Amino acid sequence: MQKIQGVGISLKHQHFHEFIENKPDVPWLEVHTENFFSQDSTASKYLAKISQDYPVSAHCVGMSLGSASIDCPIRERHLQSIKKTIAWLQPSLVSDHLSWSASADGHYLPDLLPLPLTEEAFDAVVKNIKHAQDVLQRQILIENPSTYLTYVDSPITEWNFLSSLAQETGCGLLLDVNNIYVSGHNHGFDPLEYLQNIPLTAVKEIHLAGFSIDNVEGKKIYIDSHGHRIYDGVWQLYGQAVKRFGVLPTLIEWDTNVPELSVLLAEKAKAEAIITSVNSANNEPVCL
Amino acid sequence: MTKLAQLQASFIKDCLSGPINTDNISLAKELDTSSISAQGLMAIYQNSAIANITSSLSLSYPVVEKLVGKDFFEQVSRQYIFNHWPTTGNMDDYGEKFPQFLADLAQAKHLTYLRDVAQLEWLFHQCSLAKDSIAFDWTLLAKVAPADALQLNFILAPSVALIKSTHAIDKIWLMNQDNASQDIELSLDDDNETNIVLFRQELKTEMMTICASELAVLESFANGQPFAVAIEAAMASITAMDAEISIDLILKKYIELGVICAFSMS
Repeated sequence: MQKIQGVGISLKHQHFHEFIENKPDVPWLEVHTENFFSQDSTASKYLAKISQDYPVSAHCVGMSLGSASIDCPIRERHLQSIKKTIAWLQPSLVSDHLSWSASADGHYLPDLLPLPLTEEAFDAVVKNIKHAQDVLQRQILIENPSTYLTYVDSPITEWNFLSSLAQETGCGLLLDVNNIYVSGHNHGFDPLEYLQNIPLTAVKEIHLAGFSIDNVEGKKIYIDSHGHRIYDGVWQLYGQAVKRFGVLPTLIEWDTNVPELSVLLAEKAKAEAIITSVNSANNEPVCL
Repeated sequence: MTKLAQLQASFIKDCLSGPINTDNISLAKELDTSSISAQGLMAIYQNSAIANITSSLSLSYPVVEKLVGKDFFEQVSRQYIFNHWPTTGNMDDYGEKFPQFLADLAQAKHLTYLRDVAQLEWLFHQCSLAKDSIAFDWTLLAKVAPADALQLNFILAPSVALIKSTHAIDKIWLMNQDNASQDIELSLDDDNETNIVLFRQELKTEMMTICASELAVLESFANGQPFAVAIEAAMASITAMDAEISIDLILKKYIELGVICAFSMS
């Protein structure tokens, strides 16, 4: 298992051949664990080849860590599949989201569904993260999701919820700067306040992505679509994150309308330029 | 049930019950609707989930999507999803019933080949996910007494899939690949029986169009029938196109291709 550093990109199947044949200069790659559940599959064989040259991080979307019940067969089967995949992949990092997909009555919706941020939800997520870390025998990172609704009863801020999770479970945090920007717009909070309230040592990785804009009943809603270039406001917020947290492994995420690899590499270069710029202005990471 | 469990059950029920409308949102009183209605909020999540699932279908059925067009594919996928929500987080397993759903669709009735093309794509998808097979052990076969040969059960590799159609689905599939050869021609005369075997070699899934007698042999093996039954099936399937067949050569060919990976004694 190799340590990852610098700016990596999402590995998509459209780019498998390019990575094998041209070995582009990328320090690490991130994959969706769920795409490699079958170790013998063609996709897994490509990944096995590529991972000989690139360290890999495993990003999960289906652990459903916010599910109310720990005794959820769908979740347990999914966790066991993740365990098998990371056993052969040996990723540097394993992450999933502060969200849920499986209900206690056995239904599943393949999306990152929003949690009410309550004491009850906190206790459920703590139990689920501890269980996942026990099963996987390693620390996992929890990512802040983009959300499009809030609950009437949701008294805890997301940054306090995540900070307390890290403290209570020993999990790390995967800070998705785009998601902070998106949720900040959708719910009217200040993204800088979010950054300021995340503990310095908890963050182990940063995500960057593009969003799309929908019009819902006359209101502009930002949607975390992972299908566009990163917006200027997100780049600016990333600069602030680098100032606060220092240089952390950063991922350029792209999942829909996947473009030529050169587009992802150009976004990677932009992130590297921001890191260089922040570092040259301050030799040491600066707290906001 | 805890409050959180109740909320999550209501959330899923609202999303799975069909297109969101104002009458069916059981979660409404739990949501902050100060700037967007409960209907609008839940529709964002339902649409997002449907978009995720449609992406999975699109990955499994790229030729079908090309044939019917992106807009129609999205519309049909939405109908399919409302009838077949995923039951696990492993989306590789999702979409098995899509070919039959297409066949039953009134708007696509005129595309008589669509179900079989979709079925071929599903088999390609399954082939790419299948477990590896062991290499065939010729030395073991050499030890089998000639008198016992007819009782052998030949075993197909896990990636092997067989399909027959009354349409030229092999050509339709090939013509709709990204780097399709311009030399493929499709005419109405092609609409007679097409027999196909799919199998995986290294990183590539191979598609071979085969004659009826070869398909009969492989189908017999797939059904666990002994060599003697496979021979009978092959003889019964001989057409004018298969002027001569040699069972031995068929066997050798498919062992060398890795389609047959092992054998056992009945």
